[in-house]
Amino acid sequence: MKRKQAAALGLAAVMAVSMCACGNSEKKESKSEGSGASDEKTITYWNIGTEDPDQSILKSAVDYFNENSDSGYQVEMTSIQNDKYKEKLVIAMSSGECPDMYTSWTGGPLQEYIESGYAQPVTDLYKEKGLDKIYMESATAQASFNDEIYAVPILNVAISGIFYNKDMFDKYGLKEPETISDLENICETLKKNDIVPFALANSTKWQGSMYYQGLATRYAGLDDFRAAFDGSGSFDAECFKYAGEKIQDWVKKGYFPEGVNSLSTDDGQDKQLLYQEQACMFYSGSWYTGTIKSDSEEFYNKLGWFPFPEADGVDKGAEYASICNGTIGDQFISFSCKDDKLKAAFDCVSYYSTEESINNMVDNGKIPPVAGVQEKLSDPLSLEICQFAESATDVQLWYDQYLPSSVANAHLDSCQELFGLTMTPEDACAATQAAMQEYIADKE
Amino acid sequence: MNKNKNSLEANNRKSVAVTAVIFLLPVILFLAVYVLYPIIDTFVISTYKWNGISANRDFVGLKNWKRLLADTKFWAAFWHNIVIMVVSVVIQIPLGLALATFLNFFTKKVRISRVFKTVWFFPYLMSSVAIGFLFTYALATNGGIISTISGWFGGQNVDLLGNPKTALLTIILIVSWQFTPFYMVYCMAGYSGISDDIYEASVIDGATRGQYFWKVALPLLKPSLISAAILSMVGSLKYFDLIYVMTNGGPGSSTELMATYMYKFSFSQFNMGYGSTVAGGMFILITAVALLTMKGLNRGGEE
Repeated sequence: MKRKQAAALGLAAVMAVSMCACGNSEKKESKSEGSGASDEKTITYWNIGTEDPDQSILKSAVDYFNENSDSGYQVEMTSIQNDKYKEKLVIAMSSGECPDMYTSWTGGPLQEYIESGYAQPVTDLYKEKGLDKIYMESATAQASFNDEIYAVPILNVAISGIFYNKDMFDKYGLKEPETISDLENICETLKKNDIVPFALANSTKWQGSMYYQGLATRYAGLDDFRAAFDGSGSFDAECFKYAGEKIQDWVKKGYFPEGVNSLSTDDGQDKQLLYQEQACMFYSGSWYTGTIKSDSEEFYNKLGWFPFPEADGVDKGAEYASICNGTIGDQFISFSCKDDKLKAAFDCVSYYSTEESINNMVDNGKIPPVAGVQEKLSDPLSLEICQFAESATDVQLWYDQYLPSSVANAHLDSCQELFGLTMTPEDACAATQAAMQEYIADKE
Repeated sequence: MNKNKNSLEANNRKSVAVTAVIFLLPVILFLAVYVLYPIIDTFVISTYKWNGISANRDFVGLKNWKRLLADTKFWAAFWHNIVIMVVSVVIQIPLGLALATFLNFFTKKVRISRVFKTVWFFPYLMSSVAIGFLFTYALATNGGIISTISGWFGGQNVDLLGNPKTALLTIILIVSWQFTPFYMVYCMAGYSGISDDIYEASVIDGATRGQYFWKVALPLLKPSLISAAILSMVGSLKYFDLIYVMTNGGPGSSTELMATYMYKFSFSQFNMGYGSTVAGGMFILITAVALLTMKGLNRGGEE
């Protein structure tokens, strides 16, 4: 009896320990810069292109480089699914096995990578290759920190906007909305006809955050957000309350699918609602042009697009309505390797800016962030998105990418609770603001 | 004093000690490298402000620990773990015991017991990730099993995982589904330790099956049940995988556990220092709970 208990105690202790151990074992060696993993002539490249067309687009540069480069280096590409990728990259870095080149969305996380020495400045190479002339200024600006360029914008002008099913709009006599109240009227009509107004899958949280960003931006522009970000303002500002209240109002009116917080966008449950014509509108990033097109060209032709409409009764409403939420570039490649290896890796990435590659992206429904891309676009949807992006008075990167990670997390959590009606707009604001204050206090 | 005998005994003791050292050395080394070192390192890192990827880290003393003590989210996560622990022990072990008892009564009918054994053991063989995906679809609000059944009776769609009030309980039930077979096997092993003679003797003495179970088998199984309970409790306190796959702590933070909380700080919020503090806090809490229960159960066992 006694012995069994002793054994059980030992077992319990070991089990208690194993979790902590797993959370914390391998790092320490992070001092070795760049990749320690593979051999010297291999450039490791991580991105999130797990599905076509992204996968084949991203791979094209790798294939081209591996066949034609005389640098002696070979690039090895690994694609990891979006939401997992963000965590895997951090784990790789913390164990000193950072890939030589990797994709990010810039913003807060890239700044962390830079400060930790995992992103090299590439300003000289960037200019040498003439990329500053090829890419849109706003794209280069997004990749720059403290006057140095740290990443190459490669893929897409990805801004938020609303895709809608044109057939349904015709059937119920609906027009693209000018204002948010127009949009609400559309939703009411759709509701009456048993159609879910918005396809949304919010278990990953960032999808719902787009509504929050759209509403806040249309209501008060970007000044309040930027003030909250640098500490001179606060997330308690009126526009954030407005966004929270609108979301809850819409949830209560049934504008979103049932169980919205348990639907998963990684499993495509939002797209499914759209494809099965159970839902009519889809407020999301414009990268879906490529995805939907490759899923079904026929369905793609049924879609129209409009930017998030103007807020009602706001003085500068029209001005605010021309602000983009999103990213001019979407995927940004950064480099952790140095010297010759960096040059070779940069060579590989600069293939994305060649005429051939850009044409290929356009054919696949992408809007590469290069100057004058409008002339290349034949697809009306992409053209509309591109025109809106280029005429934008300002661009704000997604909150969840732009904010420091702990604040982004607080924002995403509270925003998801807004959709679940388990938190009031005031509390959601307070939670985000608390995280922001903690972050600022921590920095000092 | 008999000098000869003494030296023999000393000799003997010495050779036993040498053998023991030789046999224990690999295990001790293994434990030192993979268990002891990480624990110590966790506590060391918890005194730093470190983003987990940078080469520099700043010593901040006990700042992280002070924050942990005042961190309501961490204590909420701990509470979720306690809920999982209690409900798991209450569901899994009695259910596992019941299944094992059923199989034990039918050992003579080999075919029946074999079929049930296989079917019941099946959930335990699946990986947690697969179970997570399976149940995410099975419990989908629109078209999932529960919603469909509710629809037959004229009810509305049911959103179990997206509702903060039901999400945790739903996951606990799935965890129970997954781990009950383990306790079933555990109890079956306990049963096989009870000799047939005892059963026959109690039958000859006129015991019914119920009496045999309550008065004879259960007391004999008690040691196994106690270690099963401790296993289940410790497992619940450090639970991670299914939550990570199915809700990732959401909606909001209604299913956040200590382990997922630790993971988020360490690997997605660039705060390895505080993540380690959470891990350290977990270690202390789990050890404390395990020791307390062990003490409590032992006292019960000696009565």
